[in-house]
Amino acid sequence: MSSTPLTEGWRSSSSRLLGLYSLLFVAWSSVLLGVMYWRVSDYLDGLAESALLQRAHLFQRFQGQTLDDALSESLRYDIHGTYAYGVFNAQGRHLTGPLQALPQGIEADQRSRQIRRWQLADGVREDNGRALAMRTQDDRVLVLVRQSGKLTAVNSIILDALWWGVSLTVIPGLAGWHVLRRRPLKRIQQIEAATDRITAGDLGQRLPVSGRRDEIDRLSSIVNGMLDRIEQLMTEVKGVSDSIAHDLRTPLTRLRAHLYRTRVALDDQDPQAVQLDRALTETDLLMGRFSALLRVSELESGQRRSAFEDVEVMSLLAELHEFYLPLAEEKQQRLELETGTDPILLRGDRELLFEAIANLLSNALRFTPEGGRIVLRAVSDAAGVQVEVVDSGPGIPAEDRSRVVQRFQRGRDPAGQSDGFGLGLSIVAAIASLHGLHLEIAAAEGGGARLILQGIHGAENSRSAYAP
Amino acid sequence: MRPASFPYGSMPRVLTIEDDLVTAEEIATELRSHGFAVDLAADGREGLALAQRGHYDAITLDRMLPGLDGLALVATLRGQGITTPVLMISALSDVDERVRGLRAGGDDYLTKPFASDEMSARVEVLLRRHAHAATADSQLRVGDLQLDLMTRSARRSGQDISLLPTEFKLLEFLMRNAGQVLSRTMLFQEVWGYHFDPGTNLIEVHIGRLRRRIEQPGRAQPIKTVRGTGYVFDAAD
Repeated sequence: MSSTPLTEGWRSSSSRLLGLYSLLFVAWSSVLLGVMYWRVSDYLDGLAESALLQRAHLFQRFQGQTLDDALSESLRYDIHGTYAYGVFNAQGRHLTGPLQALPQGIEADQRSRQIRRWQLADGVREDNGRALAMRTQDDRVLVLVRQSGKLTAVNSIILDALWWGVSLTVIPGLAGWHVLRRRPLKRIQQIEAATDRITAGDLGQRLPVSGRRDEIDRLSSIVNGMLDRIEQLMTEVKGVSDSIAHDLRTPLTRLRAHLYRTRVALDDQDPQAVQLDRALTETDLLMGRFSALLRVSELESGQRRSAFEDVEVMSLLAELHEFYLPLAEEKQQRLELETGTDPILLRGDRELLFEAIANLLSNALRFTPEGGRIVLRAVSDAAGVQVEVVDSGPGIPAEDRSRVVQRFQRGRDPAGQSDGFGLGLSIVAAIASLHGLHLEIAAAEGGGARLILQGIHGAENSRSAYAP
Repeated sequence: MRPASFPYGSMPRVLTIEDDLVTAEEIATELRSHGFAVDLAADGREGLALAQRGHYDAITLDRMLPGLDGLALVATLRGQGITTPVLMISALSDVDERVRGLRAGGDDYLTKPFASDEMSARVEVLLRRHAHAATADSQLRVGDLQLDLMTRSARRSGQDISLLPTEFKLLEFLMRNAGQVLSRTMLFQEVWGYHFDPGTNLIEVHIGRLRRRIEQPGRAQPIKTVRGTGYVFDAAD
């Protein structure tokens, strides 16, 4: 089963919601702070202009030496150093004050203007500023300059605040988003794991409920309620079939016993003996089929993982090869075992794996004509372990491949004289599903059947699927 | 199908603990026809009491019993140091059930529905194994065949026979139970150690191979087929 990796967090609904929400939040914060910046800088600009006008108004009243003294005195209280002045004669020559030259485009009309560049005693200043020129009572020109550079500092303080504010909103926002999108995903993964175990046959499993009573919990509770009901029904059905099985076993045992007892009492030459022998053979067939059916049911109920261990596949195949070799030789078939050098491990029950592969071999031997060839091999690669039985028989038609693993389907049987119960492949399929193996039926080169049991490596298998 | 001759002096005594009367009667009839003296117990408590003081040679025990469960019964017996071989008979065929039965102290496990002759064969195999356990002889000799259990080598009338390991195990099992009919299932379980029905004529083929290994001109084949049932090692003729 596929499990959702945490890195695919973008797909979770809460993460999308949070992402969108963060985006809106950042946009709104930016607009808010932008408006604030604009209003504040407008206000400060106005403040600067009115301060300049107030000064101009004040210095209007002075003239001569008094004006010069008042001007130089005023600089002493200019703590931030934002003001400068210059006094020029009517021709624009510098007389006194830190401002050395008339700023460009200035006129003595007592109106404040935006300037970009002005010359002070200690050099040229290039900045934003406002300047205002006016005629004094003694017919000189007084120029007042206020540097708005310091105002820009206020602006940059506001911009800083804006930047920090947004960052501090975005970073915890992102962190919260990361945490919030992980948590529901983790829970979905837990639910997936539980569902996998249920699908694999462990009906006692329930979806985890965290106790937060959120949407996922409510969904899980609903599904758990459903599972309770299903488990109850399954137990009832199993109880019924178990008791049917129990009820049938004893009469079958008795029937076999009666027939056998009657047969033992008869002489071998008695004509009734032949009939009784036939009846006995039929009863044995019936008992065999009955046992095989029960066996498939037991395997499908999937309660046998307690005995799972790492099985060495190569030695298992060698044992199977030795077991089937005499039969193949009798039928003049070549039974070949392809072995690798590295040990291959498969997590499972050795006895059941033996039975599954034995069934595959048994089928291959049965359907391969005299002189045919059957290959038994195991392959281990990055993808996992693969056990293959390849024969040179007639093969299984593609349309029959899913049918032959169902109960009582015999599949290919050209001669119509198979002695199997048609349950062989059902048993293989049941054992495969118990082990989490995949049974694949394919065509071999040359037209025979190729049956493949695919699984993952021993150690991995034990870690993922069957940890309690 | 005739009563087997026993290597023991007196008539062996078997206790059958089974709650289904017809099955119990059938088990008793079959065992009696093989020369056993059989006592019946219909529930667990009675069975346990009889098993504790009866000095039986073998016990057949139903897995599900009223009163005291079969597993608990055999565990109690083993806990008290009573080593009488026990054949567990159960309607539960699950492999885990068998493992549980054997772990509790049962010596063999048979699933219902079963064939009576296989049941009696299993009881006899249990009896022989129990008797053999006392003697640690490294040589096994039946008729003109001789097995050395230490070196895993076989000889027939002085001539060495080469055998594969499974062939040796098969021959050893047949010889240990000489005169006893053994079913294919029993051979498969004992020699290969697996508990399912391998179907087809696989065991037949292995027996055929073993027969060819041990046959010698002018001498009778000791491994005989009993039609519909299994094989018997018979060195008598």
